[in-house]
Amino acid sequence: MDAFLAGMATLTDPLILGMILAGTVLGIVVGALPGISGSTTIALLLPLTIGVSPIAALAFMGSVYCAANFGGSITAILVNAPGDPSSSATAIEGYRLAERGQAGLALGMSAVASAIGGIFSVVMLIFAAPLLARAAYSFGPPEYFALAVFGLSMCAAIGGDGRVKNLITAALGVLLATVGIDLTSGVERYSFGIMELSDGINFVPVLIGLFAVSEMLDQSTRRAEEPKLISMDAAKLPTGADFRKCGRAIGIGSVIGAFIGALPALGATTAALVGYNETQRWSKHKHEFGHGALEGVAGPEAANNAAVGGSMVPTLALGIPGSATTAIILAGLIVQGVRPGPHLFNEQPVLLYAVFASMLAANLLYLVLGLGMAKLFARISLIPPTLLWPAVFVLSVIGAYGPNQSMGDVVIMLVAGGVGFLFRRHGFSPAPLIMGLVLGGMLEEALKQSMIIFDQNPLGFAHRPIALLLLAVTLSGLLGPLLLRMLRVVRPQKEAV
Amino acid sequence: MTKSHPPSTTRRSLLGAGAASLGLLAAPGLLCAEEEKFPSKIIEVVTHAGVGGGTDITARMMMVQAPAVLGTEFTVVNRTAGSGAAALQYAASRPRDGHTILLITQTHLLTMLRNKSLPQFDELVGVARATEDPQMIMVKAGSPLADPRAFIEASKERGLKYGGTHVGSVDHVAIFSFARAGGFKAPTLVPFRGGGDIVINLVGGNIDVALLNPAEAEAQIGAGEVKPVLVLSRQRLATMPDVPTAQELGIRATAATTRGFVVLKGTPEDRVAKLESGLVKAMSGQVFQSYLKSSGQASDSVTGQKEWQEQLVEFNGQAREALTSLGLLR
Repeated sequence: MDAFLAGMATLTDPLILGMILAGTVLGIVVGALPGISGSTTIALLLPLTIGVSPIAALAFMGSVYCAANFGGSITAILVNAPGDPSSSATAIEGYRLAERGQAGLALGMSAVASAIGGIFSVVMLIFAAPLLARAAYSFGPPEYFALAVFGLSMCAAIGGDGRVKNLITAALGVLLATVGIDLTSGVERYSFGIMELSDGINFVPVLIGLFAVSEMLDQSTRRAEEPKLISMDAAKLPTGADFRKCGRAIGIGSVIGAFIGALPALGATTAALVGYNETQRWSKHKHEFGHGALEGVAGPEAANNAAVGGSMVPTLALGIPGSATTAIILAGLIVQGVRPGPHLFNEQPVLLYAVFASMLAANLLYLVLGLGMAKLFARISLIPPTLLWPAVFVLSVIGAYGPNQSMGDVVIMLVAGGVGFLFRRHGFSPAPLIMGLVLGGMLEEALKQSMIIFDQNPLGFAHRPIALLLLAVTLSGLLGPLLLRMLRVVRPQKEAV
Repeated sequence: MTKSHPPSTTRRSLLGAGAASLGLLAAPGLLCAEEEKFPSKIIEVVTHAGVGGGTDITARMMMVQAPAVLGTEFTVVNRTAGSGAAALQYAASRPRDGHTILLITQTHLLTMLRNKSLPQFDELVGVARATEDPQMIMVKAGSPLADPRAFIEASKERGLKYGGTHVGSVDHVAIFSFARAGGFKAPTLVPFRGGGDIVINLVGGNIDVALLNPAEAEAQIGAGEVKPVLVLSRQRLATMPDVPTAQELGIRATAATTRGFVVLKGTPEDRVAKLESGLVKAMSGQVFQSYLKSSGQASDSVTGQKEWQEQLVEFNGQAREALTSLGLLR
């Protein structure tokens, strides 16, 4: 409880408050900008967060993450182009509403539903994360090995649609994780005598390249379309009647979003789409869907913001990212010297509660900002890409050079940008690569440590119940679909007989 | 890479690995040799740590009061790559006129031992030591190893599992030297990323022993989860007077995490002497002393050239022996 209060008290620190405010405004802005997502922004600004304390850094990243999901809905509703991938479901009904002249109402509902969903998930996070952390001291190398196996087994689902492609990029990430001095042999691997590589590949330039530079290259291949902005007066607070109508949608969206977010590898975009489907299924006004249903805005918006808090649960409590954005936040924490995992709760409870507090604050802040200044934010989507992307590139170079004052890192960033561009062109998603890079290192280290602890006898794992449980869950996750299919094949045959 | 002419030596040392900077060694020293006044320009403090890292902070703490003492500005140059290799190469690329000082840890000495293309140990001239953080042998509270004598007995009977940083690291050398001095059965190193991981695995029962600085396990010692058994310093620690030194029990081994300033050989001796007295004075000031105190290190960490150079020579010998025996040095 002391830690909880101490965490809340960090909100009185002007620096932290400033970071939250900056993060929220920035989050709404980049969320509203088509092409620049929350994950791109966090990757781009990661170097800036290294200079501040872990609490301030996390408060900032968490605020951007929370607000970007809302910001995306502004463009989704007004321009019919989701500003952030997670708001693609919002565009379906939101744009129809806007066409009917109800843009203000749609935006107001989006802000309120987002905030409710977001706050719900943070409250859930406050209760769920400490439960997971109770097992802290039982987590040694064998358990971390099992966790990494579990996390990597999710790689097929994170990112794009092509499962095989996701696995290929994840494998590449695991390979990259082997570069540098090996902990258990003290030997440099794959560094080719290049000093910049001897400590391993830095996360920061890789992230900036993969997410920001590759997006710029990708955008440069597209013809810029003049976005058409639908005129609107101001965002309107939903009335009591609107609430009664959408209450169920918000509830469904919040629960689904928090749950899906907490599953490793599934993020806000999935949550919003599932949230939209379920809202429609349970709605009393099904006929409205497709023609501008307010519920169709409330449900997915509650879901994608609830997914934010949800995805922070495995990220902070287990060290396994729940989405592309949390993969970057995780890498950012590791750069800060904070290793997320069950121990974090015992070592730095204040840090965690400060994060929760700042996420709560960010959710309230974008509600106020979103309602008051939606019209202003909507104009952001009109910034010409010819100004926007060069600025992103300059920031990318500075960001890669900054932390270590190293041109080598800039080269790594540019290479990662080129690779990321090729990925996008050929339908690969960069997110599994980050997961592979983060978890691959953990996998190998933990396995080697375990083997030393077990005197090189792999049967030692048999005496570690938590590790066994995690491995069993992984196995059932991998074989589950296969077994189901076999059952399905068997059953019709029986019926036929 | 070095065919076109880069605009500055900074850029050059970043891009070109060994060859480019070696070529620079001879010339620049002559340029400044005739100047009388020292220091006459900004002094660069080169460190292998990133901005905000422990060693970087040590440099910046020294720099708070040093400008007033030496009458010039200081700036930190972070060259993070290669466990100190990049920092060493950068320093070697600068004129040896005392305006470039290098903040090193024992890790640099290990890097030099394993990479012959770098400036070697006899190229370093100690200036002043900044911090000295003694290492301690710690076990899980309630373990039968918690008694120093029982610990030594057990160590002679079986090879214990030690938590430390990576293979071939300063920790590894310290554990090896400690076990050899005590006549122990060869210990097994379980390598971890850092002190936090080591403490957790000690409490979790995955390792028998941990080699840690006092501050790294402060919380767990306070909570009664970890018990310090021996301290590897010459005297007992003022903060933990009950913990005996290894030497009291007949094991002649010391180990500490140290940081200190050096210059490269060829720097005029009068300038080294001026730097020594200036840095020691600056680090005896209130800012650096309170930094030492807040990070749990003794105020006598700061010492001049003589003691620091002796310590460097001692560790270098220790490290060479350990790395050779461990088969990590060819």
